[in-house]
Amino acid sequence: MPGAIDVLEQLVNGLTVGMVYVLLAAGLSVIFGVMDVINFSHGELFALGAYFALSIISPLGGAGFWVALVLAPLLVGVIGMAIERTTIRPLYGRDPLYHILLTFGLVLIIQDLIVLGWGRQQQQLTVPEYLTQPLDLFGVQLSIYSYFMIVVGGLLAVGTWLLLNRTKYGMIVRAGSQDRQMVRNVGIDIDKYYTVVFGFGAALAAVAGIILGGYQNVNPTMGGDAIIPAFIIVVLGGLGSFRGAVYGGLLVGVVQTLLRTYVEPLEGLIVFLLMIGVLLVKPQGLFGQETGGHAEEEGDLFVGTGGGVLSQATRVKLGAVTVGLLALAPPVILTVTGNSFYVSLLNEILIWAIFALSLDFVMGYAGLVSLGHTLFYGVGAYASALVMLHLTSSFLVAILGAILVCAVIAWIVGTLSIRVSGVYFAMITLGFAELFYELVVKFEFTGGSDGLLGFDAVFGLAGLGVPLADIEATLFGMEFGAETAFFYVALALAVLSLLFARRFMNAPFGSVLQSIAESEERTKFIGYDVTTYKRRAFVISGAMAGLAGALLAIDPNTFVISRGQTLHWIHSGEVIVMTILGGMGTLFGPMLGAGVFLGLEELILGYTEQWRMVLGVIFVLFVIFVPRGLVSVPTVIQSRLRGPDEGEPGVTAGDDAEVSADD
Amino acid sequence: MDSGTSRRKFIALTGAVGLTGLAGCGGGDGDTTTTEADTQTDQPADTDTPADTETPGGTTTTAAATDLGSVTVGILNPMTGSYSSLGPGQRDGAKLAVKQINASDEFNLEIDPVYEDTGTTAGTAQQAANRVVQQNGAQFVFGAISSSVALSLNEFAKSEELIYFPGGAAVPITGSACNEWVFRFETNTAQVAEAISAYTVNNLGTNVWFHIADYAYGDSVYKRTKSRMQAANSDFTEAGKTASQLGSSNFGSYISQISNSDADAVILGMTGGDLINFTSQAVDAGLKDQVNIVGPTMSFQVVRGALGSKAEGTYGGVRYNASIDLGDNNQFVQAFQDEHGGRPDNFERVGYDSVRLMARGMMKAGSTDPADAKEALAGGTFTTVLGDITLRGCDHQATNPTWMAEMVPGDGKMTKVETLSKTPGDEALPPCSDVGCNLG
Repeated sequence: MPGAIDVLEQLVNGLTVGMVYVLLAAGLSVIFGVMDVINFSHGELFALGAYFALSIISPLGGAGFWVALVLAPLLVGVIGMAIERTTIRPLYGRDPLYHILLTFGLVLIIQDLIVLGWGRQQQQLTVPEYLTQPLDLFGVQLSIYSYFMIVVGGLLAVGTWLLLNRTKYGMIVRAGSQDRQMVRNVGIDIDKYYTVVFGFGAALAAVAGIILGGYQNVNPTMGGDAIIPAFIIVVLGGLGSFRGAVYGGLLVGVVQTLLRTYVEPLEGLIVFLLMIGVLLVKPQGLFGQETGGHAEEEGDLFVGTGGGVLSQATRVKLGAVTVGLLALAPPVILTVTGNSFYVSLLNEILIWAIFALSLDFVMGYAGLVSLGHTLFYGVGAYASALVMLHLTSSFLVAILGAILVCAVIAWIVGTLSIRVSGVYFAMITLGFAELFYELVVKFEFTGGSDGLLGFDAVFGLAGLGVPLADIEATLFGMEFGAETAFFYVALALAVLSLLFARRFMNAPFGSVLQSIAESEERTKFIGYDVTTYKRRAFVISGAMAGLAGALLAIDPNTFVISRGQTLHWIHSGEVIVMTILGGMGTLFGPMLGAGVFLGLEELILGYTEQWRMVLGVIFVLFVIFVPRGLVSVPTVIQSRLRGPDEGEPGVTAGDDAEVSADD
Repeated sequence: MDSGTSRRKFIALTGAVGLTGLAGCGGGDGDTTTTEADTQTDQPADTDTPADTETPGGTTTTAAATDLGSVTVGILNPMTGSYSSLGPGQRDGAKLAVKQINASDEFNLEIDPVYEDTGTTAGTAQQAANRVVQQNGAQFVFGAISSSVALSLNEFAKSEELIYFPGGAAVPITGSACNEWVFRFETNTAQVAEAISAYTVNNLGTNVWFHIADYAYGDSVYKRTKSRMQAANSDFTEAGKTASQLGSSNFGSYISQISNSDADAVILGMTGGDLINFTSQAVDAGLKDQVNIVGPTMSFQVVRGALGSKAEGTYGGVRYNASIDLGDNNQFVQAFQDEHGGRPDNFERVGYDSVRLMARGMMKAGSTDPADAKEALAGGTFTTVLGDITLRGCDHQATNPTWMAEMVPGDGKMTKVETLSKTPGDEALPPCSDVGCNLG
C-alpha cells in the first residue's frame, strides 16, 4: 500500500502539471465561449511563449527569467490579436469547421517558423538557481520550482476569474459567451472585444509555455504535444466555461499523474475515455451551460460546385483521359528519370487520394466533420500488416481483412459518435483516434512502440501468386519493378472506389445524406431514419479509409507500420486539408487535393525544409478566399469573366447561421 | 422503390457469393516462387579500366589496384524529434570520414554521400531510406540512433540487399533481429552493461531501481544490466521498475516513486532528450543526494553539456571519449577539431568509423558490390579509433571496449568524464548464443 506521504507527493506532482493545463485550457475555452473559434493553434502560441522567453533570457541571464515571464506573454498576446484580426475575423459566421481548418493551417505555419527561428533541437530554459533547489515539506520532497508553478498558475487563474467576474469587461465577455446576439441588441459591439479576448487567451497560453518550459525543456513539438490535452480539458470542463477549464485542468493533471504511478497500463487511456464519456453523457461538459451554447450550431459548409463549368459528358471524358494519362505515367517516368522514385510518389498520392475520398463521404455529403479519420487509416494499415504476418501474405485477403475490421470499428465508433453533432462530433472522433493511438503501443501483437515489421505482400491468392517485392520485368528497355506493379493495382482500386462512391451518391442514399446535411430536422420529418443513414455513411467511409491503410501496408516501399505514421492526429488534419483544397462534396476533388498536397510537398522540399509553412500559407489563403477548393476554380474564373451580373453558381449546405441559432 | 429493393438484393447476393468464394482462399499461402537474389545491382557508372598505376598506401587491401569508382552512401541521421540533439554529431563524423576517404590515396574509391533525416519515428525513417535508395541509388546506408528506427532499417536492408551500419544500441539489432547485411560499429547495450553492472552493484548499492524509456533500447538496457548484476553480486535486488514513453518530458511522478523507495541506485535506460530531462528534474527534486544515478549514456557530450553542473556525481557508461589513446583516435580527434571546432564524442566516432569500415570492406573485397563487401567485412579485423576491432562473424557486432565512469566537476560548466574501470573488447561482448544470432 502506498504511504499517505507518497500519495500526497504524487498529488502535488499532479497539481503542478495540472496548473499548466489550467492556463492552457482557460484561454482555449474562453476563446471558444466568446467567439466560437476552436483554436488549433493554441498549442503553438504556448510554444511561442517558451521560445520568446528563451530569446529574452539568453542575453540577460538569471534575472531574465522574470523579465521573460512578463514580456514574452505580452508579445504572444499581440501576435494573437494580429492573428485574430487578419485571419479569423474574415471567417465569422462560417461553420466552425473553417475555424478548425484555418487554425490548423496556422499550426503548420507557426511550427515551421519556430524551427526556422530557433532550430530543431531541444533547448533548456535557464531558470534562476534558487528556484530549482529541492524542498522537503512534511516528507514531500520536490523542487521549489514545482511549488512555483502551482503558485503562478493559481495567481493567474484567480486573476482571470476576478477579471471575468468583477469587471465590466468581464461581464460583457461572459454575456457574449451566453448570447452573442443579445449583447449586440443591447448596443455593445462585441466584435471589438474578440480581439482582446483572443490576445488574452494567447498570453495565458504563453505563460503556461514558459513555466512548463522551465520545468521540462523547449522543443519544436511542444505545441503539438500540448494541444490534445488542452482539447480534452476544454471538453471535460465545458466549452466556454472558465471554471470548467480550472477544474478540468487540475482533474486531468492529477488523474494522469496518479494513474501513471499506480495503474500504469491505463495511463493515456483514461483521459480519452473520460472525454468520450463526457461527450456522450453531458456534451456541455461538467461545468458547461445547458442552454446558450453554440457548439452544436452549424453554419454553411461549402460543398460541391453546383452546376460547374463542364457538362456531365465532358466530365466523364475528362475522367477517362486522366486515368489514361496516369496509366501511362510509369513508363514515362522510368524512361525520363531512370528510377522509380516518382512512381513511388504517385503510389503515395493514390493511397491518400482514396483516404481523402473516404473523408469526403462523411464530410462533403453528410456534413459530419470528423477530426479522427486517421483512426481508420491506421487500423486498416495495422490490420493488413497483421493479416500478412500471421494469416496469409495474399494482398487480397489483407485488403479484405482491413476493410472488414474497419467497417466493424466504424460501426461502433459511428453509432456512438453520431449521438452528438457539430463541434462535439469533431471532438469525439478525435477522442477515439487518440484512444487508438495510445492503445496500439500497449500490446505485443501490434508491435509495441517499435511497430510491425517483416510483412510482405504476395500478388495472388491461396498459394498462387508472386511476392510483390520480387516482381520484375524488363520491357522495351525499361525496368518495371514492384512499385510499378503496385501502382496499377492502386490505380485500379482508386478508380473503383471513385466509381463506387459516385454510384452511391447518385443513388437515393446520396440525396438523403445531402438533405441531412442541409437540415436534419426536415429529413426526419419526411420520415427518414437519419441515424441509420449517418451510420451507414460512416461505416462505408471507415471501410474505404481502411482500404487506403491496407494499401499503405502492401506498398512495397513500406517496411514498417508504426503509430506515428498512421494514427497521429496530424494526419487527420492533413487529410482534411487535402479534401478542402480539392473541393468538398465532389468526390474527385479531394483526390485531386491529395495529389496537389503531396506534389507540392515534394516540390517545395527541393527548395526549403519548411514545406509545411508554405503549404500552411496556401491553405490559409484557400480557406479564406477559395473555400470550395480547386475544383471550383474554373467556376470562379468563369463567373469573373462573365461579369458580376450572372448569379454565382454553387450550393451551400445548411441554413444561414443566424437563423439556425434560434432553433 | 421496387427496383431499389431488387438492386439491393442483387448487391447483397453478389457480396455473399464473392465472400464465400474467397473464404476458401484463406491459408496455405506458401512461397511458390524462387526469389531472385539480385534485384537491381547497379554497377557504378564510371568504373575505370585498370590503367591506373597508383598503388594503395594502406595495409588493408589485397585486391588489384583498380579504381573502384564512385559509390553512393546514404547517411540517415535524426535531425528532428527527441534525438535531434544527437543527430548532427553523427552526421559530422560521417562527413569527416567521407572527406578523408575521398582525399586519401589509401582508398581507391569515391564516396558520394546523400544525407537525409530519419526523425525519431520509423515512418519518417522509412521515407528517408526509400528516397536514398530509389532516387539516389544508394547501396550502403548508415544511420539512425533510435533502436526502433534501426530495427526497421535492418528490415529494409535485408529486403533491398544493401549494407547497413546502424547507430542504435539495442542488442536485438545484431541479436534476435540480425541479418547478414547489417554490421554494427556502435557499442551495444550488452557491452556497456558489462562495464557498468558489476561496478554499480558492488560499489553503488545492491538495491537497484530501473527506469527505462519504453522501446527497444530501454528494454535492452534493463534486460542486460539486470542479468549482469545478478551474476556479479548475489545480494542484488530489484527495487522497482518504471517505464516512460519515448519522448516524454515530465518525469515528476517517477522521480517521486524512486525517492520514496529504498533504492540505493537507479539505472536509466534512456538517452538523448529523455535522459537530459529526467536527470535535470531528478537533481532539482533532490534525488541525486538520496540515490546514485547511473545512466549508460550519461557520459555523452551532448548530455553533459545540457546538464552542466547538475551531472556532477552521476555515473555512466562510456562508449567513447576523445581522450582515449587507442588505434588511430588521436588523428581523428585532431582532424575533427580542425574541421568542426569541437572535440568529437560517441556519435561522431560511430559516424566516422562506420563509413570508414564500409570503405575498408569494399577495398578488401576489391568491389563496391554490397554482396562482395559483405563477405569481406564479416569476421574481419580492422583498425579503428577504438583500437583493433573484429566484426564478429556470428553477429557482425564490433568487439568494442567499454568503460565505467563518474562525472566529476570540470573546468568550465560541463562535467568531465573520469573513467573508473575498463572492460576489454573480448570480455565485453557476450557469446552469440546469448544474443540470439547465428550468422555462421
